[in-house]
Amino acid sequence: MQPFSYADAPVPVREDLTDAHRRAWQNLARPGNWWTGAERVAIADELRAASSCQLCRERKAALKPNAVSGSHDTASELPDPAIEAIHRITSDPARLTRTWFDELATAGLDDGHYVELLGVVVCVLSIDAFHRALGVVLEPLPRPEPGEPSRRRPEGLAPEGAWLPMIRPERLGEAERGLYGRSAMSANVIRAMSLVPDAVRELRSLSAAHYLAIENMQRMETNRALDRAQMELVAGRVSALNECFY
Amino acid sequence: MSGEATGQAVDVRAVWGGAAAGASGVRHGAALVAFAEAALGADASALDKARAEVLAALGPEALVDSAAVIGNFQRMVRIADSTGIPLDTPLDLVTGEMRRELGLEAFGSAANTPPGSATKRLIGRLLQPFTRRIFRHLGAIQRLLRRRDSRASS
Repeated sequence: MQPFSYADAPVPVREDLTDAHRRAWQNLARPGNWWTGAERVAIADELRAASSCQLCRERKAALKPNAVSGSHDTASELPDPAIEAIHRITSDPARLTRTWFDELATAGLDDGHYVELLGVVVCVLSIDAFHRALGVVLEPLPRPEPGEPSRRRPEGLAPEGAWLPMIRPERLGEAERGLYGRSAMSANVIRAMSLVPDAVRELRSLSAAHYLAIENMQRMETNRALDRAQMELVAGRVSALNECFY
Repeated sequence: MSGEATGQAVDVRAVWGGAAAGASGVRHGAALVAFAEAALGADASALDKARAEVLAALGPEALVDSAAVIGNFQRMVRIADSTGIPLDTPLDLVTGEMRRELGLEAFGSAANTPPGSATKRLIGRLLQPFTRRIFRHLGAIQRLLRRRDSRASS
């Protein structure tokens, strides 16, 4: 049986959402640029464990996350810096700092592994959030596919004021042509994970189904049941609850 | 800004929830905000209630759309906060007033966007009075183009 049947959903789910979620699950199971398929699925398993992690709960409640020490309640054999990254990104993203990021790098989590890990976390977390909001049980994680990561670092990366290097649209190599769509401009949040181009492709695929395709961002009218102001109100409230400045 | 462009009078303070959500000027804004809050919260019965309210007020397709937007922004905020990206310069220039109005500078991730040069701040202040007008005009132009396209196709 295919994943994401939505047979138990209280209302019919759009086909483009089902298709995007199935694509995401296929990609999740495959080796990426820096992690194997098994490790990518383990990252997804770990992010689900973060929601019941005692340390994450205590840190979230503390005035400063560093004030609470201890070990995360883990669900995988992933390296410690990866587990710390998954749990903090999942449970307390508003208080991540450059210092925290640099400490992960010092502990052995390089930028390629970090970005791909982030791509997996946000992909699975957003699909899980959709399920939870709709009252649908979480989809079981896929069976990992064998194979080795490509370890390919794209050309055109340069520092641009973020913690990680990014690729400007005009510096995209042949393999990444069209990564940001047809526009000559691309927002930082779209380019943020360009160190792992497939993470950007996944982001675009999911965003087109969950929200709007990049090409339609400037259009104020939508082809959804919600008008643009309603979509932005929901988006704004979610962002405010997450204390996101961006 | 989307409210300006679609010709709706919208109170952006609705993103803080509470009474402002009910007076946002967005159709069924209070139900949508309550749904977003419940979806991010831990109270399952509150989520059931908020979901039922959106379904009753806006219908099944809008419920799916709302859940999808919630999922989308659970993703986007984490990408922004986990990579330390600064605000894009054009956005930084035209949203200064709104950010101050909403108190967003107090968020920890505001540190990822440097305050900018005096020239940049000056340009931002000069642009501010025109921002809302520009968005209103853009929205009106888009609506005209859409009407023209639908007339041409019918």
